[in-house]
Amino acid sequence: MGGYIAKRVGQALLVIWLAYTAVFIAVQSLPNDPVTIFLNSDSAADPATIAQMKEYYGYDQPVIVQYFSQLLGLLRGDLGYSLSSGSEVSARIGEVVGSTLVLAGSAFVVAVVFAVALTAAASLARGPRLRNLLLNLPPLMVSIPVFWLGLVLLQLLAVQLGIMSLFPDDSFLSLAVPIFVLAVHLSAPIAQVLIKSVQEVGTQPFVDVLRAKGASESWIFYRHMLKNAAPAALSIAGITIGTLLAGSVITETVFARAGLGQLILQSVTVQDIPLVQGLVLLTAVVFTSANLLVDLIHPKLDPRIITASSGSPRALAA
Amino acid sequence: MRTAHLSLKAAALVAVLGLTLTACGGNSTTAAPAEGAPAAAGDPVEGGTFTFAEVTPINNWQTQAARFYEKANVLNSVLDRLTYFDAESGKLVGWIAEDFKANNDQTEFTFTIRDGVTFSDGSALDAEAVKLNLDALGLGIKDAQVAPNVDFGAYKSAEVLGKNQVKVTLKRPDANFLRATSSVAAGLVSPKTLKLDNAGQSAIAKIVGSGPFVFESEKPDEEVVFTSRDDYAWAPETAENQGDAYLDKLVIKYLPEVASRAGAAQSGQVDLVRGLQPVDEQVLAANGGQVFAAQGVDLTTNQAAVRIGSGKLEDVKVRQALQIGIDRQAIKDTVLSESYVVAGSVLNHKAPGFVDLSSEIAYNPEKSKQLLDEAGWKVGADGIREKDGEKLEITVATSNNSVVIKPAFELIEQQWRDLGVKLVNRAADNTFLVNALVDDKVEFFGTRQFALGGLGPVYAPANNTQTLNADEELNKLFAKEQAATSEEEHLGLVEEEQRALVLDKALALVLWDEVQVYGASQSAHVEFTSGTAPIFQGAWKSEG
Repeated sequence: MGGYIAKRVGQALLVIWLAYTAVFIAVQSLPNDPVTIFLNSDSAADPATIAQMKEYYGYDQPVIVQYFSQLLGLLRGDLGYSLSSGSEVSARIGEVVGSTLVLAGSAFVVAVVFAVALTAAASLARGPRLRNLLLNLPPLMVSIPVFWLGLVLLQLLAVQLGIMSLFPDDSFLSLAVPIFVLAVHLSAPIAQVLIKSVQEVGTQPFVDVLRAKGASESWIFYRHMLKNAAPAALSIAGITIGTLLAGSVITETVFARAGLGQLILQSVTVQDIPLVQGLVLLTAVVFTSANLLVDLIHPKLDPRIITASSGSPRALAA
Repeated sequence: MRTAHLSLKAAALVAVLGLTLTACGGNSTTAAPAEGAPAAAGDPVEGGTFTFAEVTPINNWQTQAARFYEKANVLNSVLDRLTYFDAESGKLVGWIAEDFKANNDQTEFTFTIRDGVTFSDGSALDAEAVKLNLDALGLGIKDAQVAPNVDFGAYKSAEVLGKNQVKVTLKRPDANFLRATSSVAAGLVSPKTLKLDNAGQSAIAKIVGSGPFVFESEKPDEEVVFTSRDDYAWAPETAENQGDAYLDKLVIKYLPEVASRAGAAQSGQVDLVRGLQPVDEQVLAANGGQVFAAQGVDLTTNQAAVRIGSGKLEDVKVRQALQIGIDRQAIKDTVLSESYVVAGSVLNHKAPGFVDLSSEIAYNPEKSKQLLDEAGWKVGADGIREKDGEKLEITVATSNNSVVIKPAFELIEQQWRDLGVKLVNRAADNTFLVNALVDDKVEFFGTRQFALGGLGPVYAPANNTQTLNADEELNKLFAKEQAATSEEEHLGLVEEEQRALVLDKALALVLWDEVQVYGASQSAHVEFTSGTAPIFQGAWKSEG
């Protein structure tokens, strides 16, 4: 187990380093340096100011020096300076990250709870009509665009009924509605995969054995089927981090909320490349960490993973 | 009751569907005259909180570096300037400078500073503070990586004369220098603010001005709150309100989602919102809101500025053909609204020196085709003109700042297709613009810029992003205009500049006058500067 963890953590660090390097190379391959691009974003900038600012932020250094000094800074937690605000990239991210964590974290929990509830309802539903209806919910949910649902709810609750603010104001609705909008989109793929794997598990002989022994359907579902179907859904949940981040760009824009999504949008719009760089790196870290977490939980649900990766013939034969 | 609710929901759904479809389709439908139900006239009401929603959060508040609306619209009420441009009379009037005069050569300017003006930190806005501000504007602030203000390109130095006078000396004549002192980007800040580092100067919490509103608090990327300054008593000479603001508080919020803006004003959740789409104007006016069109007198018209680097537009006949190949009225009727005015020149209709060239640039497809033929571009098999094996395929790049620029170029694309010209429409594509902005092989940059007086600062420098080219003849004309010694001579030369840019050289294919369309609630009373910024010092809300 220790070797497995060390290997996964090592791989995660390697991925983050590669992501950093890829971003660095991408920035270098732009036709201009970040300072020139930023200052030229609407009209021609003063060459003397460009030169001075390049020197100040270190963009006049040779590429290899820039690479290692930025990498060294990164190890100290220093992501450089945001050109648009003059403050540190880490400070800019720090200002808004809490808001996104609350939104995305809650949406994720709501999405998982909803996906499990939907799977349970669909699996235990008695009539075929009800079951069909429930089975068709996830495809519907995934086809509803996040921005559309957000706009409809805002138009209805904030403009027509006037019971909600168009702006975040710490009220229940101003947090619950964006969470709901994001969760609907997020829970669809999780529910889809969970339902599918529960159905597959249901066809296996041990389920028939359990039924023959007289176990109730809900006992079989909760104790056996759900547990066996969980690993597949967990993998999907790890990948949905990407959906979650993309969804928060839209949700935060529609609901005028501060957050990482908004910050990504703004930094791209004003061409604040150091900030974009920092945000891309953060995304890579979040993505990698989530998948690392999934990798670490997986063996708990399915111990064969560890023994299989150790190459034991006994495990492979099992 | 139940049916009422249901129909309300259905109506809301339909309304949103409509908005959404428009947002996706890009090509919006005609908006009929938007007449905001005028708010009840009467005496201004004292007090209250006024909420204004901008289109995007502002992260860099440095007062002179960049000149974006979202920043200027707020800073206009935080910073005072030496002079004020009164759009109604078209005259420059006194503000912090109670008097100003120029020498005959337009190289020396003397400002007499008003007595008793203070910054909100209590320090005096005196001649010394003005000199420090002028140095920062003209020379930049090296320690804080702040670039000089582009309108102060001729600035050399300033000296304090006597108790309350400042004399500015320029490197070369500049007849537009005084006007430049009226822009928000020339706002006066406390000498302490000038000493802050780059991050400090970018933070609204640290910027100290002498304006009618003072920073109170902020939530990053969500809101900024300002309070009215009770002892404010130095409004511009022509301002109706000579005292402190009627309002108690000013709250700035952000509505990045364009589809929410009309609803925000309609429901009264904001008093004012910028960036209304043409399709929403009528909806808002019909639902008890108001629509304000703030004309950008300080700006050029919206235009496709021409770069000749690819060679396809090198022949002036081709550019002139494209100028008269644009049906401007059709653009207004199809994608704009009654809030928009079709361009008559490269300057706004109300700008000093404006010359009406609308008959010369009137839509004339036949003449346009003839000019293209004369230039040697013959219609090929696929309907696109070609010359020496090269197709007349040209590209436009713009930022996504304007809500109407993309559909407008979509229409021009159709109009030009009839002439045998293919327009590659990369409007509102910011990623493409990064490179296109400095690439003279991208034929058009769709833009509008601040033009405070003459057009030299916008089109003269070799690296100007409009043409990316220093045209020698034009530059001679710009220099002559800046050295004009009388107002009459100056306006005559500004007129010549417009003729050169629009007709003789056709380097600016003009479209419509710059305008910013605001949505407002029923109770809001607000007017706008010549730079389209709301004047919150004179704003108020009717009761009830």
